[in-house]
Amino acid sequence: MADIDKLIDKLAQDGTAIKPAHHPILLSIEWIMVAVFYLAIAFMLSGFRTDLSLKLHETWFVAELAALAGILVATSLSAALLSFPDLHQMRRVALVPALTFALFALVMFFAWRADSPPTPPPVHSVECTLSITMLAVLPAVWIFFVMRRFASTHHYWAGSIALLSAFSVGAIWLRLYEQTDSIMHVIDWHYLPMIAIGILGMWLGKVVLKW
Amino acid sequence: MTDNSDNFAALMKQAQAGDQRAYTELLQETSRLLRPFLAKRLSFTNEVDDLLQEILISIHKARHTYDGNRPYKPWVYAIARFRLQDHLRAHYSDQLHHADDLSEIEETLQSDVTESAISYESISGEVEKLPEKQATILRMMHQEGYTAREVAEKIGMNESAVKVAAHRAYKVLRKKLEE
Repeated sequence: MADIDKLIDKLAQDGTAIKPAHHPILLSIEWIMVAVFYLAIAFMLSGFRTDLSLKLHETWFVAELAALAGILVATSLSAALLSFPDLHQMRRVALVPALTFALFALVMFFAWRADSPPTPPPVHSVECTLSITMLAVLPAVWIFFVMRRFASTHHYWAGSIALLSAFSVGAIWLRLYEQTDSIMHVIDWHYLPMIAIGILGMWLGKVVLKW
Repeated sequence: MTDNSDNFAALMKQAQAGDQRAYTELLQETSRLLRPFLAKRLSFTNEVDDLLQEILISIHKARHTYDGNRPYKPWVYAIARFRLQDHLRAHYSDQLHHADDLSEIEETLQSDVTESAISYESISGEVEKLPEKQATILRMMHQEGYTAREVAEKIGMNESAVKVAAHRAYKVLRKKLEE
């Protein structure tokens, strides 16, 4: 008991004025703005796919991009909530990425069905996964850096969602840059690696988000 | 209940503004709030105190993540549960790590008892010098032949706490017998 009283006195002495953290919605908007800015720079350097104006008239391509953007928004919001010990008492909102991923899977299923006869896949394969990963490195570093300033009590979940958020930035870039129409290629080499990324994120969360 | 929660939130707001007196009061109230929560889940008073200290430090580190616009208790319990899980995880992994050790010590002790070099009386005397709870556990396990589970049921502790207490007692006894 005496030790606890001593500790309380010591903590109170260290208790200088502090500014409460921003609301997680503001935080996630900040992250999305950074992601948009980063994507703008990436497109300035790489350019867009040459058939983009035509592709933007295809329903399933636009739906795929919208679903990817939905994943970026939902994972950013969820990661922001997961940075708070109590998830800012918005636990259900933190689960929204599950919905957006389900919606994304549905869109990809319809896009795959619409790709008939199937478009031949390009000659390259894993290069796409590597390109997305490379582009996602900076957003991942940024998001983990910001999250470390908070106090997550869900390391695995937070790490996984944060890395998926960063990966979705890379996925949006590659879909708008690479001239590929093969849905099977896109599923295999752009989106299925997200499962491995989610698992890697769990491990990273455990290591990086300790406090 | 609401008044109490409002009071916590108000104290935290004052603390965040740099009011050290309000912060002291908040931490004292929080400590009173969390003690029964931890005591229900842990067997030893010293464990409760250690963990409570850790939780208070965590609250201090994370106080910027509370904005005063939402209830205080869910926020503080989220931190307390998180630290409790950490503590239990470490505790059980430690137990698993020492599981082989434990059976080894038990075997050594049992074989020592049958050897003439160490008399039963000498061990029994040392057992009586142990803290009351540890002595009772060892008596029941080694003189009366109860299993750890049975001892736990009889004295109203959980089984793992009985094993931990026995383990600590074995360590003390081994030291004494090695002297």
